[in-house]
Amino acid sequence: MKTITIDPITRLEGHGKISIFLDGKGDVENAYLQIPELRGFERFAQGRRAEDMPQITSRICGVCPVAHHFASTKALDAAFSVDPPSAAKKLRELMYCGYFIYDHILHFYFLGGPDFVVGPDAPAAKRNVLGVIEKAGLEIGKEVIKHRAYGQKITAILGGKATHPVCGLPGGVSKGLNKDEVKDIENMTKSCIDFAQFSLKLFNDIVLQNKDYVNLILSDPYQLKTYNMGLVDKNNKVNFYDGKIRVTDQQGKEKVKFDVKDYTKYVAEHVEEWSYIKFPYLKSIGWNGFKDGKDSGIYRVGPLGRLNAAEGMATPLANKEYKKMFETLGGKAVNSTLAFHWARLIELLYATERAMELIKDPEITSTKIRNPVGEPGEGMGVTEAARGTLIHHYKLDKKGLIDKANLIVATTNNSGAINMSIRDAAKGIIKKGKVNDGLLNMVEMAFRAYDPCFACATHTLPGGMPLEVNIYDKDKKLYKTLRRNF
Amino acid sequence: MRTIILGVGNQILGNDGVGIHVTNSLKKHVKDPNITIDDAVTGGMNLLELILGYDKAIIIDAVKMENGEDGEVKKILLNDFSTMHSCNPHDVSLIEAIEVAKKMGENRIPKEIIIIGITMKQIPCEFGEKLSPKIAAALPKAVKMTLNEIKKDIKISI
Repeated sequence: MKTITIDPITRLEGHGKISIFLDGKGDVENAYLQIPELRGFERFAQGRRAEDMPQITSRICGVCPVAHHFASTKALDAAFSVDPPSAAKKLRELMYCGYFIYDHILHFYFLGGPDFVVGPDAPAAKRNVLGVIEKAGLEIGKEVIKHRAYGQKITAILGGKATHPVCGLPGGVSKGLNKDEVKDIENMTKSCIDFAQFSLKLFNDIVLQNKDYVNLILSDPYQLKTYNMGLVDKNNKVNFYDGKIRVTDQQGKEKVKFDVKDYTKYVAEHVEEWSYIKFPYLKSIGWNGFKDGKDSGIYRVGPLGRLNAAEGMATPLANKEYKKMFETLGGKAVNSTLAFHWARLIELLYATERAMELIKDPEITSTKIRNPVGEPGEGMGVTEAARGTLIHHYKLDKKGLIDKANLIVATTNNSGAINMSIRDAAKGIIKKGKVNDGLLNMVEMAFRAYDPCFACATHTLPGGMPLEVNIYDKDKKLYKTLRRNF
Repeated sequence: MRTIILGVGNQILGNDGVGIHVTNSLKKHVKDPNITIDDAVTGGMNLLELILGYDKAIIIDAVKMENGEDGEVKKILLNDFSTMHSCNPHDVSLIEAIEVAKKMGENRIPKEIIIIGITMKQIPCEFGEKLSPKIAAALPKAVKMTLNEIKKDIKISI
């Protein structure tokens, strides 16, 4: 392939810019997604008090504050050589379940789901949560709102503030639970379990019972045979909060399993001159370009990555759904990008069941929630953000100030795969230079499945999630532009 | 009459956090039990939940205007935005959130929602806590404009 150089200055212009390059026949040769990456975190963190990091990093992203908060807190546990009391770990994990509940509900009903529930061919103006409510009914809409808010409330009770938790401390948490709070969380969780089951039924009725949708899920442009990565517990079951990082191959067989502290032995980052986003890959396989298959070190994280990388769910109802998904989609590994949506709902059910186990655990009201810290040093912490494996790595000086800080965020772990999915979606729809209006939809569906969290202000008004697709001919001349939200 | 004033933004992303700089300043001037001043690093559904139950909401935020100037301060009514997506693929816009809530029969949506926007050509992508000189210079105007919105309702101590 000819080398394409894109002026680095243009790298940061706008959000979600996709460049598609055609070959001599007018078919897709390659495609590049360019997204802005927040810079300068290491310098920003340097010299700050280590214990401030969980608060600071929870502000990095308006989407996953809880994930950053605990990846950071866990990195501090390691850096101060302290193992939190078991009650503290349970409280953290419970809060984490609340976060998954609201995050996955939001994605399925508001963002990813509309493509299916309303239909992939429906006009963009209909493919949103209002379209879902129109189709599923007002009562269901109310349930969606209620249970998303329950997830938020569970998180807020434990974290102090839902959108900006303040509870994580090296060695434990700052706040326990009283009996009233336990009752409150238990009631909400009970309702959330029912709702998660309902959501899976909805998926079954609307998506799986529709042959066209199943064919779409299994269609070529949405297949990507990469490795998969996720945290697992000691039984190789999915865990969001703790465990070992497990990587499986295209057939679901274990490739490696390691502690986060050994992360750099197993994963390296590839740099492309056209993007500030790095492309992580498995060291033992190596970087072989934007290709899938066993000879390419690219892997996927997030709901489908986690389910592929594990051998089941640790709770009964979710495990049943787990088995059903793999049976329906042809065994392990499931390589269909659109199956991320299904996997997300199975995780929602797991989060609710796990929350129930934790809230019923007598230890959850324990007041022994913090252990004294040791001397400052170096530490890494890992959690599963809703959208994939998230790692914080700090080196502290003798005073406990940050000397070095590095973060590997979930969307970065998926960056190679997202890029390929966009390319393949484009390949499926652009033939002999013919571009039809469905392109934006197909491309959007490809990257939306990953629930990516692009680094950009979460709230900028009017902002928009602008999407621009530029298509270039074989001479690299601009051939066509499609835009949305500009 | 209960009012909430929310500074929305990210304090560790330079100019992006300008709304919170404004609310920090307002907190020094306004002491009134009917006025809540807070900040939020969030959008969409979460932002909506924060303003539910108030009669009036004033949201102070960075507004990206590629053709505008850095540091202009504008009062914008929610209806003036044709689309107001949260700038993030993982959220809905505040307008969308409000539409959904209305459809659900939510009766706690503030009757009046005002946005005080501080304009900028670019939203920063680099971590930092400082505002650029042009944006910092807009602070007093943004504070004054917000105070104007609430002066008839409350006591202000300056």
